[in-house]
Amino acid sequence: MRKTIRWQKNPIVAWRAIDGETVIISPSDNVMHELNETGSFIWRQIDGRCSAAEIAGMLAAEYEVPPEDALADTEALLQQLAASALLVTAAAADGAAC
Amino acid sequence: MRRHLGVPHVALVRRPTQTLEFSIGSVPFRVFFPNDYMSDREAVNTLYHSAAARYAAFQGADGEPFAIRVVDSDELAEGVPDFSYEWQEARLHCRAGEAVFSGVRHEYAFDSLLRMLFSWILLPRSGFLLHAATVVRNGRAFVFTGRSGAGKSTLASLAPEGSVLTDEISLLRCEEGGWRAYGTPFWGEFRAGDVNTSAPVAGIFRLVQAPENRVAPLRQAELLRVLLPNVLFFSAQPAAQRRLLEILGGAAEEIPGHDLEFRKERTVWEVLPA
Repeated sequence: MRKTIRWQKNPIVAWRAIDGETVIISPSDNVMHELNETGSFIWRQIDGRCSAAEIAGMLAAEYEVPPEDALADTEALLQQLAASALLVTAAAADGAAC
Repeated sequence: MRRHLGVPHVALVRRPTQTLEFSIGSVPFRVFFPNDYMSDREAVNTLYHSAAARYAAFQGADGEPFAIRVVDSDELAEGVPDFSYEWQEARLHCRAGEAVFSGVRHEYAFDSLLRMLFSWILLPRSGFLLHAATVVRNGRAFVFTGRSGAGKSTLASLAPEGSVLTDEISLLRCEEGGWRAYGTPFWGEFRAGDVNTSAPVAGIFRLVQAPENRVAPLRQAELLRVLLPNVLFFSAQPAAQRRLLEILGGAAEEIPGHDLEFRKERTVWEVLPA
């Protein structure tokens, strides 16, 4: 069975929520990243315990969006954040769930 | 038996260490130019006297001064620094509440290291340095930010006389009662004279040169995005960046932000909030 990836925020990044949006700075390259309201919602749920599917479920519960779109959007954003090294994979912890 | 040895023709007085005290933004500094600094005594005298003249107007803060030791380039500062930086051949090494400047050969190097140090020690003091001109009008500070060429010096030159705190690098601090802007000795091309004073901040304005004068409000997140690339900051340490982002986020939430489209004439003051 394929292991579910669980992401957590990279502890070295600086981030701040403001006015419904989120600004994230990665010290390694000093690049400023910005998340809109739904991106910020997903960012807030990233805690090392939730899977993409679980975060997508929370997104679909909060916003008017079909579950399959919520999952596709969540997975795409997580990949982008991970590619920018703003996320790291959480240490595998069997049985942990969000 | 005791025998006292000595060199009778050398007076027992060492050349004094030259000390310079000043304060910027209520942060007091004490700079030591030691007597054994550099073989070229003329150079150290020039460095000391030029710094004394530039910072002469900046006096008056209470409290224990932050110590800066200016040393020769061969003398390495000891220990792992809390913060370090290099500017050309000059180096800044900050540790345990004291800074060492080495390899400083002229006033520009001294001023550059001081700005770098200042950006660091402002963190626990809830402040930051911003590429911005600051003009005091009706007792309140108007902060105009933008990169080189955005019009900071132009705007400062159009300001009512004697009210410009700086045309290049502004200092903002969050204090009891709100945000204040302070005069700094850091100037660009337009120098009205050093103004060692402060005023509550009325607003931060992003400069956009345009055919007409117009002011439009910025949302908090937009103001934070305006501030970030214009802040002077030299540390890549995660904890320092987190602290800076916290301070800037607070500023963006608490200070009104605006876009200021302006044409290069005095009428720009008519569109600014009173």
